[in-house]
This record gives sequence, C-alpha cells and structure tokens, in this order.
Amino acid sequence: MEMEKSIFQTREANFPDLEAKTIPGLLQVRVKQFGGRTFFRQKHKGVWQRFTYDQVYACVKKFALGLAKLGLQSGQTVAISGENAKELFWAEYGVLALGGKTVCLYPDMLPSEIKYILQHSEASFFVAEDQEQVDKILAIRDELPLIQKIIYWDSKGMWQYDDPMLMNFTELLEVGQGFARENPEFFETSIEKVTKDDIAVISYTSGTTGLPKGVILTHANLLDNAYRVAMSVEMKPSSQYLSYISPAWGTEQICGITLGLVVPFELNFPEKPETVLENIRELGAEILVFGPRQWESLVSMVQAHMLDAGPVRRTIYAIGMKVGKEVARERTEGQKINPIWKVVFPLADVIVLKAIRDNLGLKKAYVTVSGGTAMSPDIFRFFHAIGVKLRNLYGTTETGVLTQHLGNYFAPETMGKWFRSHPDFGPPLEWKLKESGELLARGGAGFAGYYRNPEMTNEKLEDGWFSTGDAVTMKENGELVFLDRVSDLRRLSDGHMFPPQFIETRLRFSPYIRDAIALGDASKPFVSALINIDFDNVSRWAERQSITYATLPDLSQKREVIQLIAGAVAHVNQLLETKSQIECFVNLPKELDPDEAELTRTRKLRREFIEDRYKGLIKAIYEGEKEFCFEVQIKYRDGRSGCVKNTTQINSCRNQEA
Amino acid sequence: MAQSIPDPKMKVDRISLLFKQVMALSEISLAIEDGEIVSIIGPNGAGKSSLLNCLNGFYKPQAGDIYFEDKRITHLSCHKIARMGIGRTFQGIQAFLGMSVLDNILVGRHTHMKTNFFQDFLYWIWSIKEEVSHRDVAEDILDFLEMAPMRDAIVGDIGYGLRKRVDLGRALAMDPRILLMDEPLAGMNMEEKEDMARFILDIKEFRKIPIVIVEHDMEVVMDISDRVIALDWGRVISEGKPGEVRKDSKVISAYLGEAEQ
Repeated sequence: MEMEKSIFQTREANFPDLEAKTIPGLLQVRVKQFGGRTFFRQKHKGVWQRFTYDQVYACVKKFALGLAKLGLQSGQTVAISGENAKELFWAEYGVLALGGKTVCLYPDMLPSEIKYILQHSEASFFVAEDQEQVDKILAIRDELPLIQKIIYWDSKGMWQYDDPMLMNFTELLEVGQGFARENPEFFETSIEKVTKDDIAVISYTSGTTGLPKGVILTHANLLDNAYRVAMSVEMKPSSQYLSYISPAWGTEQICGITLGLVVPFELNFPEKPETVLENIRELGAEILVFGPRQWESLVSMVQAHMLDAGPVRRTIYAIGMKVGKEVARERTEGQKINPIWKVVFPLADVIVLKAIRDNLGLKKAYVTVSGGTAMSPDIFRFFHAIGVKLRNLYGTTETGVLTQHLGNYFAPETMGKWFRSHPDFGPPLEWKLKESGELLARGGAGFAGYYRNPEMTNEKLEDGWFSTGDAVTMKENGELVFLDRVSDLRRLSDGHMFPPQFIETRLRFSPYIRDAIALGDASKPFVSALINIDFDNVSRWAERQSITYATLPDLSQKREVIQLIAGAVAHVNQLLETKSQIECFVNLPKELDPDEAELTRTRKLRREFIEDRYKGLIKAIYEGEKEFCFEVQIKYRDGRSGCVKNTTQINSCRNQEA
Repeated sequence: MAQSIPDPKMKVDRISLLFKQVMALSEISLAIEDGEIVSIIGPNGAGKSSLLNCLNGFYKPQAGDIYFEDKRITHLSCHKIARMGIGRTFQGIQAFLGMSVLDNILVGRHTHMKTNFFQDFLYWIWSIKEEVSHRDVAEDILDFLEMAPMRDAIVGDIGYGLRKRVDLGRALAMDPRILLMDEPLAGMNMEEKEDMARFILDIKEFRKIPIVIVEHDMEVVMDISDRVIALDWGRVISEGKPGEVRKDSKVISAYLGEAEQ
C-alpha cells in the first residue's frame, strides 16, 4: 500500500531553452556572450581582483591543456583539495572540458579518508591548495600508484620542497600555454567530445555506516539541478554570489559551479574562511547558500553583540525585533497580522532591522538559502524578522535538489515545495511515500548510481525510484516536512513508525518547553510526551496572566499552564501524521537535571534512565489514568537529598482538541 | 687591524659596556655567520639585552668595535644602523596600539620611503606608486605571518601573541639583512610559542638571513638554534652547539647557582 502522487508538470509551462548540454559547453556560451564582463573575484594582497570571462576561459584552457600535456586522458579522475578559490574552479572547469571527472575533497579530511577516496575514484592527478594539503598527499603517495602529478596553487612554505612529483599551478599554466601553441584546436575539440551523460563529478557522501559512497553526477545531473533552482527562483544575471560551502558537498557543485554558469553569477571567493563575514559585507553578496550551522553562527554573533550593548540599545533592539517578527509572521506562518505592525514597520526597519542587515552584510542579499538538514525555526524566524527571506532547501546528493521554499510563503518547519525539472533532462519529478514514511523520488536526469558500486546502487533503486532514507510527511499545500532519517524512527506496538527526535526538537521550539521526551516503543500503542516546562518563561507568562503559583510543581500543574502546553503540542501534532501524533502529555513537576543523571552535561536526554525513573508515571499514562501521584528522590546541590511528592495530571490531547 | 675584517655577517670585537661602575659587558667578542640562528642565553642581568642594544646602536660600548658586513658601525646612530639592514624586535610590546596591523607593518617600511612631504601632500603618481609598492611588501609579510585576515584589526584589540607577531612583521618590513630579537617568546602560551618558533625558522629558510635571539625559554632555544652563546656577568662563559652548551658545567652553575633557586 503506497501513497502515490505526481507533481503536476506540463510541457506548456514556460521552460527556457537549454543553451548547452555540458558544463564546459555552457562556459563557452557564456564567454562568447559576456567576454569582458567580470566573472570571478578574489582578494589578492587585501584587494579584490576581478577576472573577466575571457580571462577565466584562458586560465581554464591553459590548465586543461597543461594536464593534457602531462597525460590526462578523457574519462580519468582528478582530485581537488582546498578552500574555495579561483584556482579550484579553473581546475574543475578545465578537467570537465577534457572529459575528465573531478572529485573535490574537504580541506580538513584526514589522509586515511583521502586515501580511500583517491583509490576508489582512481584519481590520476591531485590538485592541492597549499603545503597542508600537499603534506597529506605526500604521506600516502606510496599507496596511490595512479597519481602522476601533484599540483599546488599556494606556494607559501613550499620553497624547501623539491619532490619531482610536485608542480606549481602557474608552472602548469605555462606548460598548457606551450601545448596550446602546438595544438591550437585541441581544447575546443575536447569540449565538443564531452556528452551530457559523461560523469562530471563524483561526490563522496559521508557514510554513517561503513565507507563513503561516491555519487555519480553527470553533466546532465548538474545542469538539471541548477535549472530546477534557476526556474523557480528569479535571479538576476551577474548577481554577486559568495562561494563558501565546499564543492566536496554536492550543493556547491550545483550552486557555485553549475548555477554560476546558468544564471550566471559573479563568483566571489572569500579571502580566508575566517574572513567570510567581512567579505560578504564588502561584496554586498546577493545570493548566499549556507548550511544551517553557518546561519546559526550569524545569529549568535548578533546576540553576543547585543549582550554587550547598553540597556537603551538593547531595548531599542528588542522593540525593533518584535516589530520585525510580527510583520514576518505573515510570511512565515501565513497569518493575517494586525495592520498596526505594518504601520510601525518602516520605523523599526530604519532604526534597527536595516542596521542588522547591513552589519551582517545581508543588505543586498535577495536569495538566501539554507541547504542540508532542517534548521531551527528560531534562527529561521530571526532572519525573516530582519527582512532576509531565508529559504530552506531539501535534497539528496543522489537525486539532487528536490524542494525549496518557493514564492512568498516560508513556513519555518517545512522544507518547501517541489521543484520542477526541465523536460529536456527527463521525466517530471515524482515522489511517493513508503509505508514507513520514507520518501521515494524519481524524475529529472535521475540518479546515475554509485561509482563502482552497483550492489549499493541496486539496493537504493527500485523500479527507478530512489529511496532517500528520509522520513517525511507532505502537507496538504504540497510542502514537505522533514522528520528524521528512517533509521532513527521508532516503532509502536501496531508497527507504525514515528519520529521521536523530530517531536522532541519541535516541542523544544516552543519558548515554554525546555525539554521533552517522546515516549513510544513496541510495547506502547501510541505516542506520549513528558514535558519539562521552561520555568523562567512560563512563570513570566503566568505573572502576566495574573496566575498565582508557589513553586515549579505547582505551576506546572495549573490548568492554564496545561492548556498553554497543550497548544504547543497541538502545533507539533499538525506537522505529524495522525498515528504519530502525541496523544498524551505530562508536565513534569521538576526540572530534568544533569546532577541527577537525567541529562548529560551537554543537556542531551538520557532516555533509558528517564524511562526507568518515571516508569510508574509512564505505566499510568498507558493505562489511561487521569492523574498520577509519584515520589521522586531529588538531590540538592549541597549534597542533601529530599523527596518530592506530587500529583501530576495526565493530559490527553484528544480531549483538548474536542 | 680594524680594516681587515673576515667573512662573518656581523662581528663583535672585544666590546665593553659600563654603566657608571657597573660592568654590563666586558670584552665580548663574537661572530655571526650568514643564515644561522644564534641564541644568547644567560641568567637575569647577564647582559643579554645590553649586548643586543649595542648591536643595533642603542648603547655605545666604551671599548671595542662592532662590524656589519665589513663596515664599522660602533658609533653610528641607531637610525643609520637600521637603514643598513639591522632589524630588531623588542622585549614586551612596542607596537602602535591605536593603529591597525597593516599600518604598524607599513611603519617598518619607513627606512625605504623615498618621497618627501610635498610629494606625499600632492599624492601624485610617485607617491601612489610608492604606496602601492610598500603595501605589496606589507601584504607579503602579513601573508607570511598568517595575519592577512586581520590586517585591519586595531593592534590594541588583538591578543598578546598576535601583537608580538605584529612587532616581528614590522621588523621584517625593513627588509633586514640581520634580525635581532629580544625575548620573542616571553609571555606566550605553548601554542603561540610553537607558532613563533616556526616563523623564526621560516624566516631563516626563506630570507636566508642570520637571526640573533635573546630568550629564556631553553626548550625552544635548544630546538631552533644553530649556535648558543651563554653570558654571565657580562662575559661569554660558553659557546657552541645547543647540546654542548646545555651540558657545560659553567652554564649549569650560572643558572642553578645564582639566578634560579
């Protein structure tokens, strides 16, 4: 029994004409179009240097021909390791022009990981950034007989190396120039020979179990993905794009390398990873694709600065953010808001919000994307409050990008709506959900398989459907909600799988909930939750509501507080399938405490310990009791111990809704 | 005799330095060869910094002579000595705290600046050209010291270890042909010391200039020096490879007998 739906997609829809079938082909088209315009920008000695399309093309050509002279054949692999830089992009475009494959590595990879990937991908050349990368490859070179040459582009610290296998990047460009004089047609003929189904990139995904898998990305894959994004979000040609996420991650292959040519962007490279924030600001970056962690660090930076500010400034900031958040709610929650907020918004914008945008360098950013895992709605709402329309992007390396917030509605808990795929690359994108809630997807250029691993490929492919391994739900408006990896789901007694971590994380998004534990396993027929209310926030709320209370145990069991928490639970339930919804919840009369081993020191739940400690309560929940009287031994900070005796309400969510 | 100078880059010929009745240095002679790292060690008050101050002209020895690249520099003023290519870094922090890292390093270029006040006032081609060329050198130094990302940071705002790096950068900006360093590792934590030691070795390898270091951290001294000179009471008590000096009984007694414990 599988639910099946297809994304409505017809030929009539306005699809642009494809300008080229391969990435180097598209590079040629753009060079002819824009020749003298800026394409790359990178700081050299503290000053931004521009590189026009013509210059980039010349360097790509020289690099490619240099490699050709050294013996690179079409179909061979070149590995590249380093921070994002113009040389990295030249190298990749160059290799692709010769019909070669590229493998990009994260600059912080260990020699053992590099060794596996280079052996598996049969790399014959290694392009390294600097001494650090060169040292790593030299250490494992004896086990990599296929490597013919190691090329590095930053020669700092390299002056004492005289290994014949090493070659400077500029030296290689000179070799290429010499080769070009002898064979003026070679480069262009090689580009013509590249076909859309040739492997362009092998993107190694970190295997949570076992060895990394090399996902094959053909030219068609990359272009298909880039067009999915380009067709759904309007982007102006020559927009400033900051290339920061590593091309070792498929997302940058799509966004920087390919989309950079499709739109095209002006590709900017940060000076050093630590100067990214400064560089974004100097450039006035317009298009940014970061992982959730990078977005989070921006927010924490603002918050840290505000903690240092005086009380007056802090108040102004708080008021400005409040107005921003209210106005953003229309975009993020789809609610109608009180028009008064819109009236005061311009003022808040000028005084507070614009300044934050400016200081973060996001003043000009009009396409901001968070790719990868789900991001905390608080962070998401922060950016919307300051007027940055952040979008979530969901996809897998194998299937490419699948969904993104489109249009002008940005629900923080969803990953947005499905992209359309250009029909020239293949059939429309389709999805279906397995019984377990696992997402299957197909369409577009399709999954080309794992490199040299047909068994794994077959395991993941079923009649052309790719199993993503992600448990998702689809909302009625067509938005995708990412729950969990299927392997992290837990099974109820009737066999239904539910996402405990998703439930817990989403419950914690409520300011009134500090911690939550989702209960449910093979011995339990439904999901319930133990909730540790956030005493500070709930007590402040209670004061505003004129609710009198004595202590946490008292406050947690107040009828109004239970209703407040029930509201938060109901909100999370909306995101879940009926069977996964929380049926019962209990407000714990005490805080979960690392001193009592209920939490680790980093505030992670110690699930088994908690389930054992509260087993009486849990039994009562599943026996359908209305309340439970329990005693908990507690330890005070000074070493004394005591006993809390309390009657706790067991609250059914079904009744609340009715 | 002063005219017949042999090979060494810098030669000190029996210098003596007196502060009233106190003999800070007495008849010290040493020679520093091209491309070597020489460390001067000794207990407190042994005369290490006084010796360094004589080498770059802060102090004038009452007797003896100092030669740099065959030239007698004993009585030259210190700015002239600096212009000849003797760079130095200082004990503690002597950087301009209110200026940026980049500006501090550009200050070190002053010995190479050729345009005059009026040219700079008009800021015409020659001034612009000169500024670009100095910035170019300064950027190379920033890159070398791994400080490029913080070129615009105000020196007063950055940590102690980094400030010491700025100090070194400023000395390098002079394009010195010999580098004198007074306690480059003092007050640093382990990681900062490792970085600084690495930079010192890189300077030797990359610039191929001799480096004279006064330093208390024996571990680092013994690790990076080609030669060690031990002073006590203004006299050279031992000289040679790090291993030899470490074992020298005179050095051990100078340290254990008086300064420490």
